[in-house]
Amino acid sequence: MVVYSFYIFDRHTECIYSKSWLPPPTSHDGSAAAAAAAAPPPPTTTTAPHTTASDNNNDAKLIFGTVFSLRNMVRKLGGDDDAFVSFRTAHYKLHYYETASSLRLVMLTDTATPSMRNVLHQIYINLWVEYVVKNPLSPVEHRGGRGVRNELFELGLDQFVRGLM
Amino acid sequence: MTVFALIIINKAGGLIYNRTFHEAGLNKLSTNDYLVLAGTFHGVHAITARLNPLSNPAARRISTASSGAQTRPEPPSGLEVLESENFRMQCFTTLTGIKFLLFTDTTQANVDLTMRRVYDMYTDYVMKNPFYQLEMPVRCDMFERKLASYIREINNR
Repeated sequence: MVVYSFYIFDRHTECIYSKSWLPPPTSHDGSAAAAAAAAPPPPTTTTAPHTTASDNNNDAKLIFGTVFSLRNMVRKLGGDDDAFVSFRTAHYKLHYYETASSLRLVMLTDTATPSMRNVLHQIYINLWVEYVVKNPLSPVEHRGGRGVRNELFELGLDQFVRGLM
Repeated sequence: MTVFALIIINKAGGLIYNRTFHEAGLNKLSTNDYLVLAGTFHGVHAITARLNPLSNPAARRISTASSGAQTRPEPPSGLEVLESENFRMQCFTTLTGIKFLLFTDTTQANVDLTMRRVYDMYTDYVMKNPFYQLEMPVRCDMFERKLASYIREINNR
């Protein structure tokens, strides 16, 4: 079982937290960099960090759009009590959990992983509620991810997910 | 074991076939809602194919630049199975871009096989029908009848 990435979206549809457990693409670049070294123009090396940051941002937006559309589709077909749980493609699987307060947790894993709904629920109760909601210094609205990126939450999440793998 | 419904979407995202086999499974939608659903799903399917976390654009660029045609990357695949609390949806995309959506209950096994049979029927009774126009709504009597009897057999098992 491999966890690729994890996203949290608040009720204003903003991505307030994202984390990736994928190895950074630099290792991939390293082998190719030697081959590319002969080529005279070096634009890829300078633009690479910038594009990955914006790619990540775009990915979060695409994921939210997908999840939002599928959730509405499921509700339309299965009734208002139905909930979208997960979808799978040939390359990855996306798990979804929505709380009553419209906080949306999304996790991308490999295709062989069974349902991670309880895992996302655990993250919500044991990490989000404990370290973000009960933190007196954390704001009520996490605009731009404020209050989410605290040490205890990040550390707890990393340990929890690494424990699963 | 129940098959709820079948939807066929053409390569442009238009709904060309829609049939419910089990009334209690899914909510009843109007034809307009089904058309919207087909279009929405077509778009979402295209996005899910792009979201693959394992193929970052940098790696893709390099693999195409350095090794050319030797290492062809795996073709992108969009959504294949969607699960919710009340139903499960299997999506099969043909090489020509037509999507078959089969809605079943959450415990249904061997949906791949069912999907395969439905696709066989589509090729036999729709594609081989000389009066069928490509990309247009499917109105073939034979297809309707064969499909209905096959699904009834599964639902009564």
